[in-house]
Amino acid sequence: MLSPITASNIWFLIKGLGVALEILAALLTIGFLVGGALAMVQVYAPRKWYIQGPIRVFDRIVRGIPILLLLFTFYFGLSDVLNISPMLASIVALGIRSSAYQAQIFRSALLSVPPGQLSAAKAMGFTRPHAIWTIAIPLAFRYALGPWTNEFSSELKATSLVYVIGVSELTNRASTIISNAGGYILLVFAVTALLYFVVNKTGNSLLYGLEARLRFPGFERAN
Amino acid sequence: MTDVMAATDITKSFGSDQVLRGISMSLKKGETKVLLGPSGSGKSTFLRCINRLTLPDSGRVTLSGVEVTTDNETNMRRRIGFVFQEFNLFMHLTALDNVRVSLVKIKKMPKAEATAKARAVLEKVGLAQKEKSYPAELSGGQQQRVSIARALAMDPELILFDEPTSALDPELTQEVVQVMADLSAEGMTMLVVSHEMGFARAAADELVFMENGVVVETGPPEKLFTAPEAERTRSFLRLLSDGEPAQGPVPTSGARDG
Repeated sequence: MLSPITASNIWFLIKGLGVALEILAALLTIGFLVGGALAMVQVYAPRKWYIQGPIRVFDRIVRGIPILLLLFTFYFGLSDVLNISPMLASIVALGIRSSAYQAQIFRSALLSVPPGQLSAAKAMGFTRPHAIWTIAIPLAFRYALGPWTNEFSSELKATSLVYVIGVSELTNRASTIISNAGGYILLVFAVTALLYFVVNKTGNSLLYGLEARLRFPGFERAN
Repeated sequence: MTDVMAATDITKSFGSDQVLRGISMSLKKGETKVLLGPSGSGKSTFLRCINRLTLPDSGRVTLSGVEVTTDNETNMRRRIGFVFQEFNLFMHLTALDNVRVSLVKIKKMPKAEATAKARAVLEKVGLAQKEKSYPAELSGGQQQRVSIARALAMDPELILFDEPTSALDPELTQEVVQVMADLSAEGMTMLVVSHEMGFARAAADELVFMENGVVVETGPPEKLFTAPEAERTRSFLRLLSDGEPAQGPVPTSGARDG
């Protein structure tokens, strides 16, 4: 067996981490924007079946099937029609999935805003959208941060599954190094795990830091 | 002179429950009226119909002669102050920001001007030194006073008070009642739903007694307290007066300590 600890191997892994991070950033952004919009519609738009119904169906389906299935369906399904790269397919599929989870987080956060807050804004003469923007969203954002930390960690780990449609990311590259070296399984996976751990920890620390900066007296009691 | 506020034949039902059966009332500039009545009589619902926080089923509300409708309700609300029973201060904003936010965001006032004005009204309710405090750091009485300051900041033509002291511990009601009495003495047009008999006797120009969605009797406080025309008025007021102090708040001028 040849030792897998070489500069080129380490660089190979790091680039895999870069791929994972690229997918993560993109999917979280899609999830944030689409999920945020879905949550706003669920909480503030009229309760008509043709508005709320499709959103609910979307949520049940997307959160109800395994990630691998979602990735396969997207990539192999779409590539009949579109010339889509595995990378893009991963981002879109995981982005859509994240939007369903983030919609739940933001919906819950918006519903946690005491109704009296918006009543007061309304009574003062804020238009409804302006009241939501100025009062509800700042509060909801604070409520959402904690659960969102969980979503961050969850999606980071989900990126390791995109190898099934041919994206060479971190975990997949670790496997490649192991098969090339003919062994050293635990060592290589330990190093890989460490890389995920560092990203996760950094992300969480940043999010907790943000939460601490945004906290106001009475925040916990208000929940 | 046009009434500041005139409501005509306001009705409202919630499902099968008819809460308001045709309420009419008006306020002239500088008048303070207190709306009294048992729970469920529709007092708060009526108040909320004036600024359309609750939509009336029928009837008409005018502000300085102009009807309040769905089309202009947002603008109308900017001229009407509303003080809630549960205060409803914005939790994530300091006292100063709570008072200032409407000036900056709605009136688009420059920040310096808005800050000066906000500080002035906080001073008026005796809470200048609490400007950096968040609502959770303030007592109920202080929160309600900030809430009144927040309403005052917009220079309203009329302030509606929805049971402003009902959620307060008894020892905290006096500080709020005092602010309200001073405001009334200074000429603010106020419609107050309250059980504070001291305030009603001392500050109200007229009392309106409501029961079961209708106005039973109106009149100056002393008349209703000593020689009401309706028996129901008499029995309700007797109920409330038991245990109430005989002397109400005396309007003073100048700031009080918080």
